[in-house]
Amino acid sequence: MTTLTDRYVWAAVRTVPEPQRSDLEPEIRELIEETVQARRVSGEEPVAAERAALVQLGDPERLAADYADRPLTLIGPRYYLEWLRLLKTLLAVVVPIVTVVVFLAQFLSRGDPGAAIGSAVATALGVTVHLGFWTTLVFVLLERAGTADTGIQWSPEGLPALPDHSRHARLPEFVASLVFLAALAAAIVWQHVSSVVRGPDGRAIALLDPALWAFWLPWFLVLLLAEAAFAAWVYLRDWSWAAAAMNLVLNLAFAVPAVLLWSGGRLLNPDFVAAVGWDPAVATGGGWTVASIVTGAVVLVAAWDVVDGFLRARRASLPATRQPVLMGH
Amino acid sequence: MPLAMVCDTHYYSGMRPDEDLIAGHLQELRRGTVVLACLTRLRTPDYGYSLLESLDVLDIQVDGNTLYPLLRRLEKQGLLTSEWNTAESRPRKFYRTSPAGDDLAATLTADWDRLTTSLHRLAEGEVP
Repeated sequence: MTTLTDRYVWAAVRTVPEPQRSDLEPEIRELIEETVQARRVSGEEPVAAERAALVQLGDPERLAADYADRPLTLIGPRYYLEWLRLLKTLLAVVVPIVTVVVFLAQFLSRGDPGAAIGSAVATALGVTVHLGFWTTLVFVLLERAGTADTGIQWSPEGLPALPDHSRHARLPEFVASLVFLAALAAAIVWQHVSSVVRGPDGRAIALLDPALWAFWLPWFLVLLLAEAAFAAWVYLRDWSWAAAAMNLVLNLAFAVPAVLLWSGGRLLNPDFVAAVGWDPAVATGGGWTVASIVTGAVVLVAAWDVVDGFLRARRASLPATRQPVLMGH
Repeated sequence: MPLAMVCDTHYYSGMRPDEDLIAGHLQELRRGTVVLACLTRLRTPDYGYSLLESLDVLDIQVDGNTLYPLLRRLEKQGLLTSEWNTAESRPRKFYRTSPAGDDLAATLTADWDRLTTSLHRLAEGEVP
């Protein structure tokens, strides 16, 4: 036999622990030689027969894994579901907690919301990668260790509750909407009365142009009130095509003036911009101005909210017979 | 051909399942029968490739790279015993069915016969 066979044998046996190699090598050699012999009997040239036999036997590492009964998957079906559930649970629980804690700690110690958001996002990414890597590593080791039981047993008690279309299920979203709207309204008032930036005379410099109190800021406050009423309507009556249309109108009433005022440079207080020494209309590194990024974000969020409203309306209007699991609810 | 069409022909051609599908089901059905064939055939000692050829003659097809690791596994499970024959030009590992392997072969054969009978009764329209 030639070096090609030797190299094949080496490629196979080097993947198993040293003590098993001397045991495995003669078996693999026998397999190769018999396969080559069978091909030569049927009239092939020695060199061609050897090559064809090795091709027929396939990847030597796969052959060795077959011999050693080693899994060729990172995480096989035995552990896959447990791995997936544990990973989802860890990510859903740990990442938000760590993110909020880091944000609060940074914000309270340095008072810079931008830097705090930056480190919170960086930490969230880092924690996500770490959780994914270490959880997977543990299961990969379990998969190779063989018999160990993870101790995570599936039980009927853990089955998810059926989707709840009752009013009760919409309460958390309703409360969240009210809190968000109240916070936004409070922020609009607060930035005028007691802003974070103070002038040389110690008086607060409002973030938004005080001239807007003539019409637009009251308009937005009334709009927030209307949004709260709308949230109550959706809470009481569920989504419908009418609700989705109303949602569209409210979004337009908010986003169109907001974007026009913002892109026209009329939203921010000129004194505030001067005091902070930062102009959103100045381009950043990528050629994008902060102003255009904010505009894009507002348009995207509003557009998504409108689309989401129509999707929910469609879901709510689907006949119940198409979802048999939901019957009786 | 667009991917969707490939998938369609694969799963929904309706009249006749394609060859991959048939091959997959045949493989599924035959899995395990190679073990039974080996345990039965190796009541007479033989080496891997000769076993492979004699199974091939009987239309029980199995690849060398499947059969050789399988024989080693059965040996580890105590169902086969082995001995190297170095008398000839090429050293060959001869396997023989152990008493435990013999018992298992009897159990598996009985089950195979039982299944065959059941399937025939089903095919003949006998509804329990």
